[in-house]
Amino acid sequence: MLFTLLKKIIKTSAGKTKFIMAFVGLSVALVLILLAIQIQANYNQLLHGKSNTDSTANFLVINKEVNNNTVNATILSNEVLAKLKEQPFIEAVGNISGGRFKASIESLISSFPFYTDIAFESVQNEFIDVNTKDWNWNEESNFIPMIIPNMFLDIYNFQFSISQGYPQITPDALKMMNFKVNLYNTNGQVQSYIGRIVGFSDRISSVLVPQSFMNWANEKFGNNKTTNPGRVVIRTKDPGNPALVQFLKDNGLTTDADKTRFSKYRQIVNVITNVSWVTGAVMLLFALLVFTLFIQLTIASCKNEIQLLITLGASPKQLQSFLMKQFFPPNIFIVLIALILIAVVQFALFALLKAQNIFVSKFISYYTIIAAVIVLLLLWWVNKAAIKKYIKGKE
Amino acid sequence: MQITLNNIVPTPLKDTLLKRKSDVWNTTQNFSSNDWIKIKAPSGTGKTTLIHILYKLRFDFDGSLLWNNISTNQINETALATIRQEKLSIIFQDLKLFPNLTARENIELKRVLPKPYYDASAIDLMAEKLGVTHILHQRTGLCSYGEQQRIAIIRALIQPFELLLMDEPFSHLDKENTSIAATLIAEECIRRNAGFVLTDLDDDNHFNYSKQLSL
Repeated sequence: MLFTLLKKIIKTSAGKTKFIMAFVGLSVALVLILLAIQIQANYNQLLHGKSNTDSTANFLVINKEVNNNTVNATILSNEVLAKLKEQPFIEAVGNISGGRFKASIESLISSFPFYTDIAFESVQNEFIDVNTKDWNWNEESNFIPMIIPNMFLDIYNFQFSISQGYPQITPDALKMMNFKVNLYNTNGQVQSYIGRIVGFSDRISSVLVPQSFMNWANEKFGNNKTTNPGRVVIRTKDPGNPALVQFLKDNGLTTDADKTRFSKYRQIVNVITNVSWVTGAVMLLFALLVFTLFIQLTIASCKNEIQLLITLGASPKQLQSFLMKQFFPPNIFIVLIALILIAVVQFALFALLKAQNIFVSKFISYYTIIAAVIVLLLLWWVNKAAIKKYIKGKE
Repeated sequence: MQITLNNIVPTPLKDTLLKRKSDVWNTTQNFSSNDWIKIKAPSGTGKTTLIHILYKLRFDFDGSLLWNNISTNQINETALATIRQEKLSIIFQDLKLFPNLTARENIELKRVLPKPYYDASAIDLMAEKLGVTHILHQRTGLCSYGEQQRIAIIRALIQPFELLLMDEPFSHLDKENTSIAATLIAEECIRRNAGFVLTDLDDDNHFNYSKQLSL
């Protein structure tokens, strides 16, 4: 009842245009700020989300830079390996162990003749980007499974076959072929096995064999010297992390530079979100200012009425809570509108990107909602402070 | 509720007031809930000034003013509002109604500001006694002074109070209406065990005053 009467006494419609301006400004500011947060959330999701894990992006093969100082001395020391494991941005380190024996591989088909010396490497399964049931080996196995870099097949299909007049080969056809794998012991004696390619890797540019085979073959054919690896695979959440790049540089290590290209994309996204942020923040500041002015104007235009109300015994608290009730609900409305708008945009984005096999969340992130709540609290506080200040001035 | 004046002299009237004798200015005086006090004074001697000082609307005076033995300087806004809502009511000489509200709304406002002392129906009862029922729905800006004054009286009586300040409360009323209004005021004061301070130009017998002072 009191508020109904106060509503008749204190007209809040004094500066309708200003109010609408503030309203629009605040809406745009909020949309920009929340959008920036949502973009950041989407980007993080794309960067780290499971459904989007780029097979190459999060795994980096690291080795010493080969230059005049490190030639023939590229084995990674225990110290470096320990350092790698310590870094917060490196989640796991997988040693790439090489074969300590000579090997060669040759074709068993006359129409596709080839012979080449070869060296094998192996790494723990969790670092391999090929998922196949054939990827295991024991002494009873019929063949040695191998994973070769995708690049090898490309080199064959697009350079070698054309220049030599051989037929091109599909990955599936290649997988069905048997190869003869010759292993030589330290005395030069040879033993032959059947080998088969079971997959193609984008991640590690080596001919990979299962760890169990490597251990067995090293023992049987290799020398007994165990050495540290020359290369390791690391898993990292963020290959674009500048700290990682700096760490590698500081330790004379190198990796596939192409894989850190993400850092450039990220910089661009960062610039965009930052611009959105700053613009939104500046607009929010101005909108808050206009809102404060609007509150001041309303209170100033009802100066006499408010004075009389206080004279009659209205408490500052009663007036403040009344004014709060007049001014604050539009803010809630604005925040809701902004959230709904962003939710719609997000859903559209989800539908749009899904067609391109990029998966972002269907719904807005809870960071966005938390940010909205924080902005709402800020608005509440600014409203309250402004009302308190200007009411006080009227006593 | 008790109001104590300690050597109060309003600054603008200092020179003239210090030259003459007064029961109120520059002395010690107590107004409490037990007193029905009439203060008689000619025009321009500070009646309204006194009422405003007592109600803590003016601060331009020497001396000190106590409410229930607390200096009014120490009473904060919230406490001030509570006292004005529950302990100290007032009828202003210039009435101070909201011209855009109806008569009923003006009264209702004062009824609901504090925890209501009366039901809304009390407005109708008092309006009927003072003969202003027909204007309750009218904006007070359109009412005559006599009507407005009666609305102001009802507004002062609708709230709880221990002390009622009245600044020439019958200035716009004829004899008959004055007597009816005075009866209502007396009833309401008795009902609350409340006192009052009334200022006026002339002597009168509207109330059974316990003290008559001159400014």
